[in-house]
Amino acid sequence: MREEYKLLLPAVGVLAFLVAAPTFYLFYTSLLRWFLRDPAGPIFVGVENYIRLIQSADFSTSLIVTLIFSSASVVCSLMLGLGLALLFSENVRGKRVMRTIIVLPIVLPPVVVGFTWKFLLSSEVGVIGAYFIRLIGLGNFSLLGDPQLALASVIIADIWGKTPLPFLIFLAGLAGIPPVFYESAKIDGAGGWQTFRSITLPNLKKPLVVAAILRTIDAFNSFDVIFVMTKGGPGMATHTLPMLGWKIGFYYFDVGTASAIGVILLLIVMFLSMPLIRSISR
Amino acid sequence: MRGDLIRSILLHTLAIIACILIVFPIAWLVISSFKTMYQIFQIPPPLIFEPTLDNYRRLFFGGQLMNAFFNSLIISAITVIVSLVLAIPASYSLSRLNNAVGRNIGFWILSVRMAPSFAVIVPYFIIMYHLKLIDTIWAVAVTYLVFAIPFSTWLLKITFEELPRELEESALVDGATKAAALMRIILPNAVPMIASVSILTFVLAWNEFLMAFILTSRDARTVPVLITALSGTHKLDWPIMAAITTISMIPAFIFITFVQRYLVKGLTMGSLKS
Repeated sequence: MREEYKLLLPAVGVLAFLVAAPTFYLFYTSLLRWFLRDPAGPIFVGVENYIRLIQSADFSTSLIVTLIFSSASVVCSLMLGLGLALLFSENVRGKRVMRTIIVLPIVLPPVVVGFTWKFLLSSEVGVIGAYFIRLIGLGNFSLLGDPQLALASVIIADIWGKTPLPFLIFLAGLAGIPPVFYESAKIDGAGGWQTFRSITLPNLKKPLVVAAILRTIDAFNSFDVIFVMTKGGPGMATHTLPMLGWKIGFYYFDVGTASAIGVILLLIVMFLSMPLIRSISR
Repeated sequence: MRGDLIRSILLHTLAIIACILIVFPIAWLVISSFKTMYQIFQIPPPLIFEPTLDNYRRLFFGGQLMNAFFNSLIISAITVIVSLVLAIPASYSLSRLNNAVGRNIGFWILSVRMAPSFAVIVPYFIIMYHLKLIDTIWAVAVTYLVFAIPFSTWLLKITFEELPRELEESALVDGATKAAALMRIILPNAVPMIASVSILTFVLAWNEFLMAFILTSRDARTVPVLITALSGTHKLDWPIMAAITTISMIPAFIFITFVQRYLVKGLTMGSLKS
């Protein structure tokens, strides 16, 4: 055996053990009616969990919430990230320090991002939720207590926490565009917008795709920021798919249906990430 | 030129606004951790107040946070050490293995990295439940390896690729084994890279919530789980919460000061390289 394979074996072996068996197990348990604390034990029911799940109102509500949350968060964070990257590739004084500041939220624990915004928006103590909205005369209401405002609030918190990712990706992308391109555009007499459309954007295609895929996967898995802020409420206003899975699996201990949600999420995420993984590992 | 000046002022204004939008929420939280309950509830919020260390004192002598803090520390350390021990030889091998086997294994490792936590946690919960390991740090640390091994392996692979092959070639010609070349030549040259990858892996484990939340209840809960548990209580102790969250940000602050250079790679798994 080549020596490279020997060096590779321990990691691959351990990872295969940690991943392969549980993955098969997940597919298997998704076919069982199984309440973990029920002494009756598991019963094989085929695809019944999937059918019941897809027909349930909770599932369609969670799916819609996930789609609204993900598309709003992804689109806004990409646009903001691009704007910030363009801004910071200009001649700005103290840009290294400012760049570090802008990046900070992405390394904070998401739970802390959620709590920070819960604290700001709280109708009890929040500098925005209890003070600012009254100061500008918007009246007396709870930002996290109203279904639509709560969804908007968790989206804003998520955008705040995740914009550094596209920002960093676009910054790296912009740095990779040869300055000659811009010089020749200048000689041709192209304006700012024209240069942006014909040089900047086409050269940012790959960073845009990478950022969009990574952000979409991340948004589809969203749990922590939302859970701290609203626990999925009020009602089901901020109830995403992973949250539905959590409630079914670890609140009602219906691990069969929870596994079905796990399988669905796995398939969605793998479908989204396949092109990216293929291009990276080539 | 006047146009340039206006443009420059506009750019600087925008940059400063962006920084304020990021700094304000964090700063407000940190400042509030030095307030009393009464001061936190004052509307409008007092701009000048007498800071108190009471919240931190209550935390350090309360036990709950210290327990969660040590759990987070131990779990993150185990995750980093075990994944590094496995990842260093594997990533070196992948970085020098230029064939279909290497590419396929790389593809598989990346796919594991992208897997949604929820799909991972369901089978792990059932298994740990039957092994009676729920609410132990071991259950959490083992589960974290599922993302930590692929993460550190891939990140080290793309950094090892930057080290020129000539570096170890003469040793290999002299008959050294690949393992010896890795130990004697690659490792000493890769210390900063390995340190950066370790810190990134540490932050990843330190910040993780969903898996720890599902696998622990009291004894083994980590800092994010404690934060969530306390922020869900009916009468929320805002000052203590502000103090706990402030402390939990420390690894992030350390990270951002020392190894920012590796952040893009870590976040994108090197997908920007053309």
